[in-house]
Amino acid sequence: MISSPILNIAKKEILDNVRNKWVIILTIIFASLTLVVSYFGSIFSQGWQDFGVTIAGMMSLVQFLIPIIGLMLGYAAIIGEIEKGSMSSLLSLPVARFEIILGKFFGLGGVLSFTILIGFGIAGIVIGVNVSDVNYLDYLIFIGATILLGLIFLILAMFFSTLFKKRSTSMGISVFLWFFFNMILPIIFVGIMAASIGIEGLVSGDFPEWYHALTLLNPLSVYSALVSLNVGPVSTIEGISVSYPAFYSSGVMILILLIWIVGFLILTFWKFDRRDI
Amino acid sequence: MISKVVKCPKCSYKTTVIGESGKKIIITCPKCNTKGNYLFPEEHQQLTKTSDSIAIEVNGLIKTFNGLRAVDNISFNVEKGEIFGFLGPNGAGKTTTIKAMLGLIHTNSGEIKINGYDIKPSGKDAKKFVGYLPERVAFYDNLTALQNLHFYAEIKKSSKEDCITLIEEFGLSDSVNKKVGTFSKGMVQRLGMARAILGSSPILILDEPSGGLDPRGVVLIRNKIREMKNKGTTIFISSHILSEIQEICDRVGIINKGVLVAQDTVSGLSKKLNLKPKITVELEKMSDDVVASVKKVKGVDKVEKIGKSIDVICDPKTKAKVILAIETAGGNIINLYTREPSLEEVFMRFTEVK
Ligand SMILES: Nc1ncnc2c1ncn2[C@@H]1O[C@H](COP(=O)(O)OP(=O)(O)O)[C@@H](O)[C@H]1O
Ligand SMILES: [Mg+2]
Repeated sequence: MISSPILNIAKKEILDNVRNKWVIILTIIFASLTLVVSYFGSIFSQGWQDFGVTIAGMMSLVQFLIPIIGLMLGYAAIIGEIEKGSMSSLLSLPVARFEIILGKFFGLGGVLSFTILIGFGIAGIVIGVNVSDVNYLDYLIFIGATILLGLIFLILAMFFSTLFKKRSTSMGISVFLWFFFNMILPIIFVGIMAASIGIEGLVSGDFPEWYHALTLLNPLSVYSALVSLNVGPVSTIEGISVSYPAFYSSGVMILILLIWIVGFLILTFWKFDRRDI
Repeated sequence: MISKVVKCPKCSYKTTVIGESGKKIIITCPKCNTKGNYLFPEEHQQLTKTSDSIAIEVNGLIKTFNGLRAVDNISFNVEKGEIFGFLGPNGAGKTTTIKAMLGLIHTNSGEIKINGYDIKPSGKDAKKFVGYLPERVAFYDNLTALQNLHFYAEIKKSSKEDCITLIEEFGLSDSVNKKVGTFSKGMVQRLGMARAILGSSPILILDEPSGGLDPRGVVLIRNKIREMKNKGTTIFISSHILSEIQEICDRVGIINKGVLVAQDTVSGLSKKLNLKPKITVELEKMSDDVVASVKKVKGVDKVEKIGKSIDVICDPKTKAKVILAIETAGGNIINLYTREPSLEEVFMRFTEVK
């Protein structure tokens, strides 16, 4: 049962953020890029079967931009209000601390989902016009997976927003998190694999199972696996086709994404509960 | 009327008796017919003062920051309907105490109850009774004054219609639909007071309410505090300015370096402290006649001769009489100045006693 302070706070977060110029700018950038990718993807394709590269392009776009939007919405969510001073007043009202976190998570998650829906909506229309046999269920799964990914980065940023004593530190760690999951972690994983199977193994695309297990530590990899497993044909932009091991299933991928969200929500409750305002 | 169970001293038969406290009755044991006197216990002021009459209860509060005790074992009660002034210099621990009272910070030890609800396990219930003005007032800058108050009204489950009236009452009629981000510090402070009063909570906790206000704002807020008091609101108000508190409070607590050094009614405190201004009168020529005639003035506590000037400690009201006495005695006044007792002196006096 959702108590009403959660809804009140969620509503306030939406009201407060729809006027945030960065949210607007990033939404426009995301929507324009999905338009470009889907347009060029669809005019050169014969049909959905041949749509792999377009999906892959949209996936890269998502992996690049959605974490930025999630992190940006979350990094100041708690520390911003504490630094500003409005948290004292909010907490003096009859609300429990977990309700503040949940309210903010739902509100900011709503803004994030809205951004994603706009981008995917535009792309969906373009694809629908140009491609005859669109699999709409696949497309919905694609959107759902993207929202889950965005929520992970949102709650990650919110956690660090409750952890740190300064807004600037929280912002710094958010920038780091983006580089970490987009660049550093993949390089580390590939480095480990290269050290183990050599360059020839790497080029063959025949990756060992433990490597596939290892990459599941990165939610971005889990996301791309989930999309690849569901959304028709996906080939990577680089042209290397990767076959997944048997333990890769949609259920497992969704579970991992949910564990990230729920896990960090609990960590955020825990940390916020102990915090002096 | 109170009822008591009494035991017969002879046969140990228990029976219930009813009567007024302080009254003596003769009881006859229904079983063995022994007669005896029984005095109903006096209703002791302290004992019968159930927590029903206490709005805020703080007991043994300790809070340390990095090992330093910002609040050091503070205990006090605030009665329902009274204005309690919480007085202390900057850094004394006022804000820390208030934050602990609202559960904003975690304490090392101590118990805090608001209307009988413990702020730790039952924070949500306790906070239903409180309107709070923080030391650093802040709002959501992207939202208008009205949108902000609507948000707080929703969570307090109070009437949204009152928001506009409140904003207007605090002199912000022109800014109802302006973003709070464009407000001046004084306007934010006024809106903060409106937010504290929103929903007419029975307890108001105000942390330095006149901070950042112009004199007109100070008067506005002081009148509002009086108005709330007349409605029966309990008001806890912190300040580092003695005169600000003196006028409106029923009782004051004085905190210095985290320790509550005094707790009394304002008049009791003034008596204890002998809070009287010191008038220094510079004369053209010192004469013993002048000193003698000043000493004769009623209400003068102390006269001291220092070179060509005299220091007079007296009631503020006797100031004119003192000047008249000096002039009648032939004294020629060159200069005159009054010094109010500073808060620092007050704290010094209390800490000296300790
Ligand atoms: N968050 C904090 N971290 C460290 N020290 C603090 C913190 N808050 C307050 N203090 C210290 O506690 C003492 C009391 O501060 P405060 O309660 O704000 O005083 P007042 O409100 O009476 O001016 C001061 O010495 C202050 O420096
Ligand atoms: Mg203070």
